[in-house]
Amino acid sequence: MLSLKEFFEKKPRIKVIVNAGKGGLGKTTSSAAMSYWFAKNGKKPLCFSTDPQASLSDIFEMDIFGKGIIEIEKNLFVVEIDADRRIKEFQEEVRNKIKTMYGIDEIPEEIDEYIETSAYEPAMHESATYDAMADLLSKGEFNPYVFDMPPFGHGVRMVSMARILDAWIDKMEETRRKAAEYAQAAAYLKGISSRSEEEILNELRSIREKLDFFREVLTDPDSCAFFMVIIPEKMAILDTERAIEMFRKLDIEMAGVIVNQVYPRELLDRPDVGEFLKRRVEMQQAYLKEIKEKFGDYVRAVVPMFDREPKGMEMIAKVAEHLFEKPGLEVFE
Amino acid sequence: MLRRKKEKEEKEKEGEKKSSEVKEAIAGLIYGMSAHAVTRQMLKTRMYLEHLFMLITLGDMMGIPILPPYYSLKLLPYAVPNVKTWKRSMLKERDVTDMLY
Repeated sequence: MLSLKEFFEKKPRIKVIVNAGKGGLGKTTSSAAMSYWFAKNGKKPLCFSTDPQASLSDIFEMDIFGKGIIEIEKNLFVVEIDADRRIKEFQEEVRNKIKTMYGIDEIPEEIDEYIETSAYEPAMHESATYDAMADLLSKGEFNPYVFDMPPFGHGVRMVSMARILDAWIDKMEETRRKAAEYAQAAAYLKGISSRSEEEILNELRSIREKLDFFREVLTDPDSCAFFMVIIPEKMAILDTERAIEMFRKLDIEMAGVIVNQVYPRELLDRPDVGEFLKRRVEMQQAYLKEIKEKFGDYVRAVVPMFDREPKGMEMIAKVAEHLFEKPGLEVFE
Repeated sequence: MLRRKKEKEEKEKEGEKKSSEVKEAIAGLIYGMSAHAVTRQMLKTRMYLEHLFMLITLGDMMGIPILPPYYSLKLLPYAVPNVKTWKRSMLKERDVTDMLY
């Protein structure tokens, strides 16, 4: 059983870390703590939240939502994207591009309507965030990138979306090329010159390059580590099993499981601890056994339940210590 | 002398103009007789390809979401001039007589 620290020592080329799992189990906390640890150990991490709810701001107790990349402590960079604003800016960009491309002051009504309504599409948020992620990654200014992915469905969908998009963009490029050929041939016969297709093909290529790069990084087990954050409860275990299955289908190898919010076993031996709490400890112990059976070798760290919410730099440091320095794996021995 | 030279030049120019008009007319005639049908067919094929492209990029305008909207918007500016005809041809009712054209 490799601890989290041993895992990263064994794989020094890891540049992307993704924490996935059900909501409220500590994905964002784990991401923050991991980033903190990397910053303290001579790296330059970027902690990135794709969560539409501003949870990184809560954890670091600082308003960073939509404020761009911020160095919150020495070498520790965080960013929380305001997807709504990004979409608005993007819409404006598209409008301006149309205006300058065709030299018009007013955008045709049906086009404008389309631009306006696209913001409300359910996939818009996702694809805007995805694009932001791919943008950040392709710049390569940080190492590692620590992503905190909202409930695992999204994360997996992002990878599968890259695949589907890739296929479609192939088709689109093909139709563009053919259309251009026909247009050129027709223009030649007719004796007029055809307008260049280069620009649109370039746009398609740049979209594709970004997606390919993103997918390559995410599916290469030497450069990307996917962690599942779970707690010793039935639902989380089931969810993780499903996630592992889905990851496997997408050729993604899971890097490990982080067990969070574990009550110390010693509570059972203390006479001053009430029946209610003892029950919970016993329940967790039973599920820890199940976790050992199901994910045994994958467990990388066990983080205890704290007496208060893990918020603020001090608590983040504490979580990081548990993750890397005393992973508490002895509960599985 | 100078005047005469000028007149001569003007006459030559007019002659060139006429001959180029004749050339154009002949070229047009040949084009009409030989290549026009081919060109038309090619432009038609191009139109179908263009429509296919539009469907993939802007399918959600018709309720067929293929590309995520973020990328649709990115490609939208290039498709602007075609949107109207594309929508019309997609939503057009079709019957047997369409085959005749």
